[in-house]
Amino acid sequence: MPTFKLNGQDLAYQPGDTIIRAAWRAGIEIPHYCWHPGLSVAANCRMCLVEVKSGRPMMLPILQWDAKKNEYVEATKPKLVPACQQAVTDGLEVTSQSDQVKQAQASVQEFLLLNHPVDCPICDQAGECKLQDYWLAHQTKLKRKATEPVHKVKGVRFGPTIVYDGERCVMCTRCVRFNEEVVKDPVLDMRERGNVNEIVLSPGRELDHKYSLMNEHVCPVGALTSRDFRFKARVWFLKAAPSVCGGCATGCNDFIDFDPRTQEVQRLRPRDNESVNQYWMCDDGMMSYRRFHEDRVRLGRVRMGAEFTDVAPTAALKEAAGLLAAAKEGGRKLGVVLSAQHASEDNFVLARLARDVLGASAVYLAAQGGWDGDAILRDADNNPNRAGATAVAAQHGFASLGTTETLLGDVAAGRIGVVLALGWASKESSTELAGLGRVPMISFTSNEGALPSVATVVVPVAVHAEMYGTFTNRAGLAQQFKRAVHPPPGIKPAWEALLDLARALGANLNLGKLEDVRRALPASPPPAQPAATA
Amino acid sequence: MEPIEEELEDEAALELPSEPMKLNMGPSHPAMHGTIRMVLDLDGEIIQEVDVQPGYLHRGFEKSCERGTWQQVYPYADRLNYVSPMLNNVGFSLAAEKLLGITVPERCQYYRVILGELARIADHLTCNGAGAMELGAFTPFLWCLKVRDWVWDILEKETGARMTHSFGRIGGMARPPTATLKEDVRALLPEIEKVLMEVETMLLRNRIFLDRMQGVGILTKELALDAGVTGPMLRSTGVDYDVRKAHPYLVYDRFDFDVPIGHDGDNYDRFLVRTEEMRQSCRILAQACDQMPDDGPINVDDPRVMLPEKHAVYTTIEATIAHFKLVMEGIKIPPGEVYSYTEAGNGELGFYLVSDGSGTPYRVRCRPPCFINLAICRDMLLGEMVADIIPTFGSVNMIGGECDR
Amino acid sequence: MSAKILARLQAQFGARILSTSSFRGDDTAVVAAKDWREVALFLKTDAETALDHFTDLTAVDYPEREPGLPRFDVLVHARSMRKGHRFTLKTRVRDGESLDSLLPVWRGADWTERECFDMFGIVFRGHPDLRRILMYPEFTGHPLRKDYPIERVQPLVKYRDEDNIEKLAPFGPEEGQPFARIDWQARLLGEDLQVAPALAVQQGQKHNTSETSATQKGAPLPAEIPGKA
Repeated sequence: MPTFKLNGQDLAYQPGDTIIRAAWRAGIEIPHYCWHPGLSVAANCRMCLVEVKSGRPMMLPILQWDAKKNEYVEATKPKLVPACQQAVTDGLEVTSQSDQVKQAQASVQEFLLLNHPVDCPICDQAGECKLQDYWLAHQTKLKRKATEPVHKVKGVRFGPTIVYDGERCVMCTRCVRFNEEVVKDPVLDMRERGNVNEIVLSPGRELDHKYSLMNEHVCPVGALTSRDFRFKARVWFLKAAPSVCGGCATGCNDFIDFDPRTQEVQRLRPRDNESVNQYWMCDDGMMSYRRFHEDRVRLGRVRMGAEFTDVAPTAALKEAAGLLAAAKEGGRKLGVVLSAQHASEDNFVLARLARDVLGASAVYLAAQGGWDGDAILRDADNNPNRAGATAVAAQHGFASLGTTETLLGDVAAGRIGVVLALGWASKESSTELAGLGRVPMISFTSNEGALPSVATVVVPVAVHAEMYGTFTNRAGLAQQFKRAVHPPPGIKPAWEALLDLARALGANLNLGKLEDVRRALPASPPPAQPAATA
Repeated sequence: MEPIEEELEDEAALELPSEPMKLNMGPSHPAMHGTIRMVLDLDGEIIQEVDVQPGYLHRGFEKSCERGTWQQVYPYADRLNYVSPMLNNVGFSLAAEKLLGITVPERCQYYRVILGELARIADHLTCNGAGAMELGAFTPFLWCLKVRDWVWDILEKETGARMTHSFGRIGGMARPPTATLKEDVRALLPEIEKVLMEVETMLLRNRIFLDRMQGVGILTKELALDAGVTGPMLRSTGVDYDVRKAHPYLVYDRFDFDVPIGHDGDNYDRFLVRTEEMRQSCRILAQACDQMPDDGPINVDDPRVMLPEKHAVYTTIEATIAHFKLVMEGIKIPPGEVYSYTEAGNGELGFYLVSDGSGTPYRVRCRPPCFINLAICRDMLLGEMVADIIPTFGSVNMIGGECDR
Repeated sequence: MSAKILARLQAQFGARILSTSSFRGDDTAVVAAKDWREVALFLKTDAETALDHFTDLTAVDYPEREPGLPRFDVLVHARSMRKGHRFTLKTRVRDGESLDSLLPVWRGADWTERECFDMFGIVFRGHPDLRRILMYPEFTGHPLRKDYPIERVQPLVKYRDEDNIEKLAPFGPEEGQPFARIDWQARLLGEDLQVAPALAVQQGQKHNTSETSATQKGAPLPAEIPGKA
């Protein structure tokens, strides 16, 4: 492995790396605004200037102030190079800590803040803003300019999701490059020059493609902010939990940013994973956090005739156990519905229950009907765990999985006399599923949906932000996620609620803890050909 | 008690045999300053064994410090020795600055000396006054508190608060001195001397006072050193150790002052040492007022440490950023650990600080002088009478906030 | 000033002095737990070091240390009345391991060791009266350990049960303004992730912003499972 020296430390690099990328691989940050590992190099912010020491560095003649002589004297200084553009060669010696470099960083920082408004108290980027971090780390002096700053546009609506603030912009063009190179929809560009330079929309267009929210996250400062997240929370109050997006079968890695005081999820944010989503996420995925709080089922429900009665979750569970016991006594055939929306742990316990305790006649898989996929990230299957649920079913000998459609047929034909279903998601609407109302049906669900709407007994369970779990994505990669917020009172993850159900039926599955379930999960199949990502 | 059976020849030889008696003194006892419990084994009036139990005022000072920023330690530090909070402020500032490797400007050093010495006078006045009161001399107590109020008037004028000032800052002070500081201090000094003289006149030839102070609660030099005793308590045994002289900090090496030492290590010596120390503090104050520059910076000029001026925060982005970072994340003190020590009212106030490079302290250990002094209270009390506990414990000057943290 | 002490110690004990440091004028030597009392006694009695004036004894908890290193640092500061110098002696003990009491060396170790035991649960071998000192005997746990939750309350007398009075723990990661506040329970499980990057770095995490993260390359989360799930 070839190496080079950065600040006296030997670092390995891969052929073709620039200095900044090789340092980034090693976890060393060279300050930068315009460079992004997933975008092309623009080298326009000049923050990453470093000094190359090996070879024959070019020396520039300068005039330097000599305080002793009280006049300018002639001197030379090395020409600095942008670390984002300079390719690494074997044995290259680089320093990012020399006085010259520090002076350059301070000057760039002073320059970028020349016209910056005093916005931190009202800016959503405060706390995760590079201007703030770098000012204290690399400058710490007040600017020398005393005149009124240049004023530019503020609060411009760029589209349904993004607002632009011209005064905060540092013209790094990351957003321009992101839309052009990753989304291939060059809807943003730069206009004018010098200190009236600004980012504009293409004439007649809006920033309305499916990756528009990513613009907030590629923006290193507060120029592009998300209309959804605006003024909702301050980031230093938030904590993050590493998780996996539940939007589609790609399984983009994300952080769930939540407020620990109110236990509310405020946003999803992409988490780097070069083999899955690189650095990006789509709008629908990032907005899928709303499902954690909207349309939640927070109480159990029992139907008497056409009337629903709200009951405590434990009472609903008891009701469900009674229903299943009565059905077994009456010799009615049981149909079990797994969910492609739920974690493998949930599906596993349900499959185990169906096979060992309830003796299910048929097993089905409920899933959403799909959406428009693309070649960037979005998969046409908008269920996060179809692969995981299928693998769990196969592990329990349920090789052929029916769909909700075949379930309807089986109920109509009288082949199924009672239904136990997981999840809210189904391809059909509630009117289309009305046929299921003919038989007793138990629904374990986190949100309102077609399946719970036709059920006799509804047991509330946790969403995936409220539990530790596993999603298996389209490439067969099983990805674990961590809990962010606590479930509402009385509500448990589906796998724990199902274990309670088994206990109420007098059965013991020997799966008391998360480790027990995880150990029993099927080993993930060898990953299929990784899906092409842009 | 067993009945006396044998015939006694001489009535003078009669000794009443008695079993040891257990007695709880405190934690709710006026002379225990509200926070100490002593479990006594008494043989009549004589103390055979005593178990001193602190902890009733434990608030988790050290744990609490581990959850805020470095700057947020000050309000907690105020409440250590709440009789002289400014000395705690100065002690913690010096410790944090030692860890940062910075020194505050000269004017600030004088300012800290002046405020600190005023606090020391207030501390000693409280101790001596309360000690006298507990022996029945209420008038000197009121006189002492009268002077303490005058001292607090100056501190209030400077800091805005009479007791818990939270006035220290890492790298300086919250505000520069007021224009009238020197004038106020100079006017106060003769008043302090006058009242000290009056108090001495009242007490030092008073039979009741002398009988209960002289030869009571004796501490030996060797034991004091071995147990780590510091401050007036150590000096009363005849050891010449004052941090301000032995390891000068701030500008203490520029003042001409003496370290009073005692001879017997009894309550009386501790009283006298404290009284004399107040006089020496007055000398220091007079010299500090003469030497302190009238203008110049109070705070270090480093935006990584000091908050910017308020008007700059509202008008410039740079100051806004600095303010934001310092308040939200705190001062980033480089990783390391130091032990820093100053002379507080009761002795060596030490802070052992560990930083992991973040804005939150990793560990703040306070070496509380009176906790360490109190640890040998047992040795001073064994063999004494119950009534001797009160002057002895009083002259140890246990401050609950500092002892129990 | 006291570099002499370091030299003296090294001459006397050689390799048994594990490491030495001088930071901002504080000289420190680290010894193994088994040499603790012997070195302390030497420091006190040797004519050249003569650390006769006890200063302080305390401990620091480092639960995140790499497995090879013991969890606790125990330190004793002392000064010499005659020579006027100061010195810090440090040792490291594992959780559950006991350490020789310094009470035979310095009388001041009496209460300070009791406090160390109370706050950290470090047992001092040979201390005649190792009881809790600041906490009450019924208290469970050792509050200055990093994994002791700051919001836990153990009232001896139960709180009154009255309506309209909210009985909240005085502190907690979810209380007040959590600027830069570290939730040690979550951090030791690897779960306390700050969103604000500067705070994240400050709390010993890698960057967790999208584009600066060099940590999560192509790997799913590690399969470790935190405590009770």
